[in-house]
Amino acid sequence: MEDHEILAKFQHPASRNLAFNQLVRKYQQKVYWHVRKMVIDHDDADDLTQDVFVKVWKYLENFRQDAQLFTWIYRIATNECLGFLQSKRRKFFLPLNDVGAELSAKLEADPAIAGDEIEPKLQRAILRLPDKQRLVFNLRYYDEMPYEQMAEVTGTSVGALKASYHHAVRKIEDYVTNADNPGYSSDETD
Amino acid sequence: MKPSFRLDQHPRRWPQPLSSPPAGYFEQLPTRVMAQVAAPARRPLLPAWLRQAPAYVRTGLASTVLLGTFAASLWLGGKPMVPAAAPATLANVPQEQLLNYLTNEAHLTLLDLAELPAQNLTSTQQYLRPSATELTEALDAQPTEEATIL
Repeated sequence: MEDHEILAKFQHPASRNLAFNQLVRKYQQKVYWHVRKMVIDHDDADDLTQDVFVKVWKYLENFRQDAQLFTWIYRIATNECLGFLQSKRRKFFLPLNDVGAELSAKLEADPAIAGDEIEPKLQRAILRLPDKQRLVFNLRYYDEMPYEQMAEVTGTSVGALKASYHHAVRKIEDYVTNADNPGYSSDETD
Repeated sequence: MKPSFRLDQHPRRWPQPLSSPPAGYFEQLPTRVMAQVAAPARRPLLPAWLRQAPAYVRTGLASTVLLGTFAASLWLGGKPMVPAAAPATLANVPQEQLLNYLTNEAHLTLLDLAELPAQNLTSTQQYLRPSATELTEALDAQPTEEATIL
């Protein structure tokens, strides 16, 4: 079902539930993986994905169709993720590195990461990025989202996004290349 | 020297780098989400005819209700509050039960007993039956202050 059909059906109380069910089925995987890459843990991703769709339900009536539906949903998901990570730091008085370490520990426990030499280093390097830069990297590298859509999702200019992605790639390459060197300072990448 | 890592030459994990969620997760997720959003089915606060009424009708109705509530609270607030039959309760207790309680269970001082004759002199005499000597002895044994009150 196309987005405009979903939106049209959602406007009618009789077909509202059906339309929303279609919307969830259509976007659940994208939202889940977008969130999961930010919070790593499945249970956290599950909670946040549900929260995202509850918010979509709540505000869909007010959705202005000048934006694409899926970039709007991505934007809600992005805000939920950033808010979640921020509140985690605030709640436990954790500095940036400690939340990164917690996410790294969860990542190490993921069986999909084990058994490869480069991949764990790459994932660790991605986790070391600041939240917003990691978000930009994920959208571009994994989701292959065009910069114009990324600008809609993040509310940042295309130029700033390009610069952020470029810096992220440089930090990641630097970390993966030098992480094993004894003199490598872990703070250089932050 | 170790060769530099180049991200664009590294095979990308596709579609996702992390392990998949539990089996059947995406089949169940829509049902779980729908259960969350459909559960609090919103009941409109106002009946349909009122929601469709023009704004001036709703404003007038709201003002009337407000004034009515105010008038009712004034009318009810003006009447003295009467406690629900509290004074009648003690009067309904038979005199004998009261005296039984006072003589057998209550720990009374002379001051309490001294107030009793004022209520019912006959029954006091009936229960206490003091002789003149006993009364004099009892009075002499009391501190001066209590005797003064008596």
